[in-house]
Amino acid sequence: MTSGADGRLRAAEIAETTEIAETTEIAEAMEAAGIADATGAGVFAADQEVGEDLAVVDWSATPIGEPSGWPQSLRTAVSILLSSRFPMWMAWGPRLTFFCNAAYRRDTLGQKYPWALGRPADQVWEEIWDDIGPRIEHVLATGRATWDQGLLLFLERSGYPEETYHTFSYSPLRDDWGTVVGMLCVVSEDTERVIGERRMATLRDLGSDPSVARTEQEMLEFAASQLGRNQRDLPFTLTYLFDDDGGARLAATTGIVSGHPAAPGHVPSDSGLWPAAAAAQGRSVLVDLGDPALGSLPTGAWPTPPAQALVVPLLHQGSVPVGFVVAALNRYRPLDEGYRGFVDLIAGHVAGGILSARSYRAQLRRAEELAELDRAKTAFFSNISHEFRTPLTLITGPVQELRTRLADAEPVVRAEVEVIHRNGLRLGKLVNALLDFSRIEAGRMRASYEPVDLAAVTGELASVFRSAIEKAGLRFEVDCLPLAEPVHVDRGMWEKVILNLLSNAVKFTFDGAVAVRVRTQDDHAVVTVADTGIGIAEAEMPRLFERFHRVENARSRSSEGSGIGLALVKELVGLHGGTITADSAQDRGTTFTIRLPFGYAHLPADAVTEGPAMVTASASVEPFVEEAMRWLPDTAVPDLQPAAPGDAALPPRVGSPALTDAVRGLPARVLVADDNADMREYLTRLLRGAGHEVRAVTDGQAALETVRGELPDLVVSDVMMPRLDGLGLVAALRADRRTASVPVLLLSARAGQEASIQGLEAGADDYLVKPFSAAELLARVRANVELARLRSQHARWRTALVDSLQEGFFVCDADGTVAEINATFAEILGYGPDGLPYRPPLAWWPDPDTDPHAYQRVRQEFSRLVEDTSGEGDLPLVHRDGHRVWLRATFNRVEDPVAGRHVIVGTVRDITGEHYTVQRDTALAALAEQLAQADTVPEALAAAATELRRTWSAHHVTIAVFPPASAGSHREPDLVRTSEHSRWSDLAPELRTLLSALREAPPLAPQVDQPGCAGVTVGYPGGVLVVWIDLGDRRPFGAEDQALLSVLAGRLGQGVHRVHEIDQQREAAVALQHAILGPASLPGGFAVRYQPAIRPLQVGGDWYDTVPLAEGRIGIVVGDCVGHGLNAAAVMGQLRSACRALLLEHSSPARALAGLDRFAALLPGAECTTVFCAILDPASGELVYSSAGHPPPILVRADGTAATLDGGRGIPLGVRIDRHRDQDRLVIPARATLLLYTDGLIERRRRSLDDGIARAAAAVHDGRGMPVEELASHLMAVLTPEGGYEDDVALLLYRPPRPLEIEFVAAPSELAPVRHTLRDWLSRCDLNAQMINDVLIAVGEACNNAVEHGHREHPAGMVRLRAAALADQLWVSVIDSGRWKPLDPEATARGNRGRGIALMRGLMHHVTIDATESGTIVEMSTRIAT
Amino acid sequence: MSTPLTLRTIHHPDGRPVLSARGEIDMSNLPEFRAALAAAVTGSGPIVVDLTAVDYLDSGAINALFVHAEHLHLICNRVLLPALRISGLTELATVEAPDAP
Repeated sequence: MTSGADGRLRAAEIAETTEIAETTEIAEAMEAAGIADATGAGVFAADQEVGEDLAVVDWSATPIGEPSGWPQSLRTAVSILLSSRFPMWMAWGPRLTFFCNAAYRRDTLGQKYPWALGRPADQVWEEIWDDIGPRIEHVLATGRATWDQGLLLFLERSGYPEETYHTFSYSPLRDDWGTVVGMLCVVSEDTERVIGERRMATLRDLGSDPSVARTEQEMLEFAASQLGRNQRDLPFTLTYLFDDDGGARLAATTGIVSGHPAAPGHVPSDSGLWPAAAAAQGRSVLVDLGDPALGSLPTGAWPTPPAQALVVPLLHQGSVPVGFVVAALNRYRPLDEGYRGFVDLIAGHVAGGILSARSYRAQLRRAEELAELDRAKTAFFSNISHEFRTPLTLITGPVQELRTRLADAEPVVRAEVEVIHRNGLRLGKLVNALLDFSRIEAGRMRASYEPVDLAAVTGELASVFRSAIEKAGLRFEVDCLPLAEPVHVDRGMWEKVILNLLSNAVKFTFDGAVAVRVRTQDDHAVVTVADTGIGIAEAEMPRLFERFHRVENARSRSSEGSGIGLALVKELVGLHGGTITADSAQDRGTTFTIRLPFGYAHLPADAVTEGPAMVTASASVEPFVEEAMRWLPDTAVPDLQPAAPGDAALPPRVGSPALTDAVRGLPARVLVADDNADMREYLTRLLRGAGHEVRAVTDGQAALETVRGELPDLVVSDVMMPRLDGLGLVAALRADRRTASVPVLLLSARAGQEASIQGLEAGADDYLVKPFSAAELLARVRANVELARLRSQHARWRTALVDSLQEGFFVCDADGTVAEINATFAEILGYGPDGLPYRPPLAWWPDPDTDPHAYQRVRQEFSRLVEDTSGEGDLPLVHRDGHRVWLRATFNRVEDPVAGRHVIVGTVRDITGEHYTVQRDTALAALAEQLAQADTVPEALAAAATELRRTWSAHHVTIAVFPPASAGSHREPDLVRTSEHSRWSDLAPELRTLLSALREAPPLAPQVDQPGCAGVTVGYPGGVLVVWIDLGDRRPFGAEDQALLSVLAGRLGQGVHRVHEIDQQREAAVALQHAILGPASLPGGFAVRYQPAIRPLQVGGDWYDTVPLAEGRIGIVVGDCVGHGLNAAAVMGQLRSACRALLLEHSSPARALAGLDRFAALLPGAECTTVFCAILDPASGELVYSSAGHPPPILVRADGTAATLDGGRGIPLGVRIDRHRDQDRLVIPARATLLLYTDGLIERRRRSLDDGIARAAAAVHDGRGMPVEELASHLMAVLTPEGGYEDDVALLLYRPPRPLEIEFVAAPSELAPVRHTLRDWLSRCDLNAQMINDVLIAVGEACNNAVEHGHREHPAGMVRLRAAALADQLWVSVIDSGRWKPLDPEATARGNRGRGIALMRGLMHHVTIDATESGTIVEMSTRIAT
Repeated sequence: MSTPLTLRTIHHPDGRPVLSARGEIDMSNLPEFRAALAAAVTGSGPIVVDLTAVDYLDSGAINALFVHAEHLHLICNRVLLPALRISGLTELATVEAPDAP
């Protein structure tokens, strides 16, 4: 910042000086004005510094002569000039002799001081005389003042012509006879504001690129078009991007043509025109443009070419420079921090744009690759479907042939052929549907639309279903009225549409009817297929036509179905230019309505044929009907269970005599168990003789072991045996699932009903009482073997079926022992049937030690599985090779027909992929949402840490933010933790080492060397983030977790990158905005608040202002421009400056507003601005004010009565220019509170403004006992509407008298002046004489102590006295830097010091004395009766 | 520079010394006040100290008055009364506070 800002600060400090100083100054000013003193030196006494320099000017050499001879008018003018704190200069006499004051010297004159004093003005301002000379002449000639707003002037005050902007007014000065002999200039320098706004506009425009993703070239062109608009700050720019060889090529220019000697197309890395090598290392270089090799340079917006250029690397932190920008510099402005920052921000923006364009290009390429992959997949899929069709045709064709040829064959053969045939048809139907899809998707569905009689075609199709529907016990209503004109349909497709809908209807309808109707309605053919079935739940309706979506748990005739029928129907109807809708009510039925347009205008012309309308059902009909038939109860499914006899086309009941022939004569493996060797031998010989394979053992135990080794077809066992008898053997065999089905024939010597019942009850299949005939034994053996064969054939069939299931299948006991699994199950988990039975804890359960979360979850699901009758659950399990598998298990409890107990039958599906996809999508979406809401980097990181912790249910997540390597590694990293607030130094040393090491790890590559932990490194412009996830247990962090972490870390990097950029831009913007908002410091007694409606901005359309005026008066302004945001802020900035200048010029609020009216009429967007403008005389409390349509300020007096300032009202600014404006006045009593505000503070939807004013008045009333600063915060808080302020809000509070603040030397002689000042201030608080005296004595005692005790060691120490008045209370504090002994017992005994403190306590309500090593603070307060 | 204070001792027609003070009494001029007071209290008889024209006095002045409290008849401005009362001076000396003019 330059002298402008410092100047403001200093002016404000001066305004803060004590009352004494002010009084003195006023007296001196009066003296200086010649009232008291007529000597020459007295003229300049109003300002010591400039006065001294003026005094030494050789005035006799000037046309106006020695000061002693000056007219009174000149003396007055000079002393007014010198006593003003606002920058002014004046010129007097024939040669316009120059005078100026200290403020002008500081802000504007610069190095010309004191040379300029007493010189002719045209010499002083020679360089701008062309601009200002005519204006001065105009003033002198007409006696009328001039007014210029933000005029550009090139001042040579700093050793070079400098671009400066000034708002100033020249007004005439008259001599004692009223003749105009000079002029006075009141000026305020706007340079910082004008240049700040200009640079801010460029940065804003640069950031206004509406498109997010664009190519590098487009981005550069956009940036160039914006930079080219500011040729004042950037006379010309060159943007170079680095090539691979280290050189750089020219990518964009502004203000200069490519190919100009200074703009070569290529710059080598080593010795080029521009310092490419330095830029590549990330350094900025200031280059002199004096080199003749650069040729004649363009000048930008200036008359002469730039002298220097700043070469700035295109550096986005966290990456290497991608190039550099050469920014030619405005030779009329110094290269200060602001200018450098401006160029850096531009380079940063361009660099960011280039990097994001490059990353966008990479993403685009990736997306194209993915699309290509998708096309390849579709092609592959349709090829595969074709490949299926060929063998299918070769199966169904010959099978069809076989069916015909085997019409007379054995029923069992015919039954098998039927099964093949039906399943062939079903498979064919599925493949065709999939093929249709892939064709539709690839846009290769070849349709041939021919005009047909839709009613006839549909009716015909429907009729094929009649038998199936009627067989299902449903009514079938076909009502197809002939249509007036033909409809163009592709027959094949139309068949699929109708057949799919009908088959659907049959499947889900158990009683009632299925109806097909064809009608004409609104130029459309409307076909409805309605049923009275179970209907569809409302929740399912939106997904009804989704591919592969199946309505879960719907009651239906069959659980078959792929979920593609309705999806295909919708696609096909769509191809016809038609629509299909479903209308359903649960338990009442479903109606599908298809609407097809007449004519063929909506169809592709090359697919329309005008063939004859033939009505025949094609081959595709058969599979549908066949399938539907199979669902019907009286034609039960032959390939799943035995069918009923009677229908020749269906297989006979299992176990009928015909079937036994099929197994006759086959040798059986028979195990004989008998302890009697003779009997054993007899049985063996007998059975071998019948062709069986026999093995003999001596007891039940041996038999059991043999059976477990290899299952025989039959066990023939004696009942009475050692070790394990026959009944025990049967029980043991039946108890083991694997041996439960082995048939056992018991032989017993014990006759009688009871014995045989006992044997059969034990589970024996048959029972033979010795003695038995050989024929009887063989017959029984044969019968049992046959029965068993049948049973095992059935079991094999079941096993084949179970194994063919696409889902894993298991059977387990009530205690959880898994007794049976299929091949898919084995494949999913890696545990095969050879390991059966599996007992809990099952091998695939997670390890309770290393992964307690998953283990807990599985245990929970498992106990549900054992307790519930049916259900579904998702389980995290472990494959045999150790990787995590997510399974969805569906289970049912059923009765085991063999063992007679409950078992659990279930299927499992591998949902690992889905699980991680869902997890990834959810986590990504959640993280993205969190990041989008964050405004600052720490906020973003905190949100990310919480989100990561949630995703993994981690113990805690730590994010360490390492500064970039270039920033020096000494700074300790910032830390964001989910668990507790902590700093880097609080971390365990091991963790610090780990995190520091990770910093060097490749970005986005998860590191999982520590069990139960994972770390990942993310680069971002502000450095390196190391994310550390501590799972808190020894859970494995698997490959899927790592992939997820990598994706999330990438997203985090992008998010933080974005927030970081916003952060940086905001910082710059805020700095610039502060330059145009409000005064830098306020006079005492005031408090202000400002809150713009548009959040990142700190300025808006509202403003407040205080302006120091002559004689200690203060101008007060609160205004409200229409709208908010940057545009309104720009208008506001100008109005604010204008209003300041007008107040300085006129000292009348009404006239200032009238002037502002004229100004507003010329300023676009300024019309209808409302302003409250006032001039306060703090000494008398008088407030003169005028309002331009502004809501009235509120005054709350110390006694709590309130009033609004309703006088001096006028219309808003700029509406009528010459209208007279009124002003009004009132005196603000001591300790009253004045509130000025803009309507944003009080406006509420659907509430009157009066309500709002009353609410604000009540809030001021309640807070009048608070200091104004505190009250300002209180008002902003209590008046906040629900959901925050919607409009800009400006608020200004004033309470007289302003707090008193005196600093004085700790010496007895200072006590009286301090006391007088305090007495004066107290009387301005409107207190009674008694109270004034009490306070004076109490404060006097505190000061005595400070002087006497506090400063024995530091005789020249300072004492600070502060006093403030609230509505009902007075506060005083006395602070010194010494230490007293307030309770020194000896002194108290002497009654001296003790008396002083007793006086303080007795005279004030509350006294605290706080003595510390560094000083003593006495605080006292007393209540004021109101 | 000391705080303005005018001290004058006259003798009442009845012979009692009357010390009249005008101005303010603080640390800077306390010695003068103390000396004037000591000079006025010559014998053991009562003396009148007229502080009606004193706007301000501090605990130092009160301490000085305490030394001779038993002999003093004080006339003072009403606004100073609370300070005298709190310090306990009113219990030893007789204090008269005429109504404000």
